[in-house]
Amino acid sequence: MAALTLDALTVKFGGLVAVDHLDLQVRDGELRCLLGPNGAGKSTTLDLICGKTQPTSGRILLGNQDITNLPEFKRARAGVGRKFQTPTVFKDLTVIENLEVGRSSEPGILTTLRVFRSPVRGRMKEVLGLVGLENEIRTRAENLSHGQMQWLEIAMLLMQDCRVILMDEPTAGMTVQETSQTASLLRELRGDHTMIVVEHDMTFVREIAETVTVMDQGALLSEGSIEAVEADPAVREAYLADTGDEAHA
Amino acid sequence: MNTGFKIDCIGYGLFAAFVLLVMPWMVDFSGYELNSYARYLALGMVAAALALSWGTAGILNLGQALTFGVGAYIMAMHLKLRASESLPGGMPDFMGWTNVEALPWFWQPFHSLLFTLGAGVLIPVGIACLLGVFMFRGRITGVFVAIITLSLMLAVQLWIISEQRFTGGENGITGLAPLNLFGWSVDTYELSFYYLVAGCLLAGLAVGLGLVRSKAGLVLRAIKADPERVRFFGYDVARYETLAFATSAGIAGVAGMLYALVLEFASPTYMGLSISLAIVIWAAVGGRESMVAAALGGIGVNMAEGRLSDLFFDQWTLMLGVIFIAVVLFLPRGIYGLVATARDYLEARYTERVAMALNREQDDAARPVADRGEVK
Ligand SMILES: Nc1ncnc2c1ncn2[C@@H]1O[C@H](COP(=O)(O)OP(=O)(O)OP(=O)(O)O)[C@@H](O)[C@H]1O
Ligand SMILES: [Mg+2]
Repeated sequence: MAALTLDALTVKFGGLVAVDHLDLQVRDGELRCLLGPNGAGKSTTLDLICGKTQPTSGRILLGNQDITNLPEFKRARAGVGRKFQTPTVFKDLTVIENLEVGRSSEPGILTTLRVFRSPVRGRMKEVLGLVGLENEIRTRAENLSHGQMQWLEIAMLLMQDCRVILMDEPTAGMTVQETSQTASLLRELRGDHTMIVVEHDMTFVREIAETVTVMDQGALLSEGSIEAVEADPAVREAYLADTGDEAHA
Repeated sequence: MNTGFKIDCIGYGLFAAFVLLVMPWMVDFSGYELNSYARYLALGMVAAALALSWGTAGILNLGQALTFGVGAYIMAMHLKLRASESLPGGMPDFMGWTNVEALPWFWQPFHSLLFTLGAGVLIPVGIACLLGVFMFRGRITGVFVAIITLSLMLAVQLWIISEQRFTGGENGITGLAPLNLFGWSVDTYELSFYYLVAGCLLAGLAVGLGLVRSKAGLVLRAIKADPERVRFFGYDVARYETLAFATSAGIAGVAGMLYALVLEFASPTYMGLSISLAIVIWAAVGGRESMVAAALGGIGVNMAEGRLSDLFFDQWTLMLGVIFIAVVLFLPRGIYGLVATARDYLEARYTERVAMALNREQDDAARPVADRGEVK
C-alpha cells in the first residue's frame, strides 16, 4: 500500500510554477531519493507535504487520509516528520531538551503539563546511542558541530517516530565518515519508516537508494532504479543544462 | 529539565525566606511601612506575570496592566458595594450623582465575595484566552502582539474613563469598605495582611514555576526560539501560547486585586501606559527568564523608588529610564542573566574537572605509566 501519494500537486509563486502537476507514490517502508538540479522544486515538494506551503491545486494522501488541508501540527500528528535543509534545532535548549520536544506522541497541554523529567532510558537512550550524542546530553545545541546538529535533528525525528520522514539534504556539511554513518542509519530505518530523502551527493544516493525520482523545473522527469535513471538521456540533459557534471559525480 | 528545576527551587526558597522573613524584619514586623511593602509585593507579582509570557514564551505583552487593572476594579467593585449598603438602592455614590436609576446588572454579582474572588482570576484569564485565540491562531507575533495588547489596554482605559456613570470615570472607584474575608476583617496596615499578599505572590510563583518547568514550559521555550519548527512536531503552538498568556493574565489579576486592597481604591491609571511600561522595566531589570527574578526586580525597583523619590523627587522617572537603558545595553538578560552566566561557568568547570579526574583514573588503571599528555 502507498504510505504517501501526491496527486497532481501544484504550487505557483506568482508566475513561477515551483511544483507542476507532480504525481508520486511511495510504498510503505520505502526509502525514496528525490533528485534534481538546483531550484527543481525538491524542497518545495517537501514543504507541501509537511504543510509549510499550501498547494495551489492537487491532493496529498497519507495512507488513505487526505491531509491536503490540515494545518502543520495536525499533519505531524498524522505521521509526517520533516528535517529541514539547514539544521533546524532549538539552539538555546540542551540536546536532551531538544529530544524531549521531539518526543511528541502526546502533544496535548494536559499531558505535557504533567511531565517533569526526561529520563535517559528506553527509546531516548537508544536514539542517543544511534546518533552518538550520549556524552553531549547537557550540551546546548548551539555548541554542537554542524554535523552533530544534523544528527540531533535526525534524532529528534526518530523520537517523533513518525510514519513518513522527509529529509532535506541530511548529509550537507557532514564529513565523509559522518555521511557513511548516516547512510547506514537510514538503511536501518528503512522498513519501519517511509522516507523521502533529497540529496545531491551521488555516492550517498547510491549507498541508500532503492528507487529514485528526478525532478526538473517542478515536474517529474524520471523515476526508477538508480542505473536506469542515470542512463536516462532526459536526466543527463537536465543536469548538463543546469549544473554541469553533477550527475557523474 | 531536571537540573534547572532544582536550581529554580533553591531560588524560590531563598526568595520565600526574603519575602516572609527579611522584608518584615526590615521594618520590625509592624508599622506603616508594611503597607508599602505589601504594595511592592503586588507590583512584583505583576512583573512575574509578565516574565511568564515574555521570558518563557516570547510574548511581549505591553498591555499587562490591563489584566492587572481589571483585577483591581473587580476587587474595588465588591468593596464599593459593601460600602454603599446604606445608600439608596445600595448604589455607589457616583451612580447617584449621575442619576443612574438602579444598580446595573453587571454590578449585581459583585455583592458576593466568592464571585468576586473567582472573577478576579477568571475574567482576566477569559480576556487573555479570547485575545490569545485571535492573535495566536492568526500567527501574530513579536512587535504586533505588543501593539495589539497595548491598544486594547488603552481602549479599555478610555472606555472606563468615558462611562463614568458605571465605572466612576477618571476618579476611579474610591471610598471602599475594608475587605471581610470569611469573618476576618482585613486591616491593610497589619502584618497579617502583608502575609496574605506574600502568600498570594508565592502561590502565583509556584504555579508559574510548575508551568515553566513542566514539559509544557519546555515546549514554550522551544516556541520562543522557533515557533515554526515546533508545529512540525505536532504541537498546537497557538494553544501553548494561549496557555502562557492566560496564566500570566490570571496572576496579574490577583496582583491587581491585592493592589486595590493596599491602596484602597481603583483608578484608570492602573491600566495606563506608564505602569505597563514600568512593568516591562521591572521584569527586564530582574531578568525576564525567571519569574522569581522578575518579581525581585519589581520589588527592588519599587523599594528604590520609595527611598530615592523622596530624595530626588522629579528626577526619579528620568533615573528609571537611565537604569532601563543601562540594563538593556549591558545586561540584556537582567540581573538574573549575570547569576545564570556565573552558574553555567561554575557548572562547566565542575563537569570538566570531574571528567578529567575520571579519565585520569581510567588511564592509570589501564596503563600504570600513563601519558598524561593524552588526557583530553
Ligand atoms: N516561498 C517562495 N516564494 C517564491 N518562490 C519560491 C518560494 N520557495 C521556493 N521558491 C522558488 O521555487 C523554486 C524551487 O525551489 P526549491 O527550494 O524547492 O528548490 P530545490 O530543488 O530544493 O533546490 P536546491 O537544490 O537548491 O535546494 C526556486 O526557483 C525558488 O526560488
Ligand atoms: Mg532545497
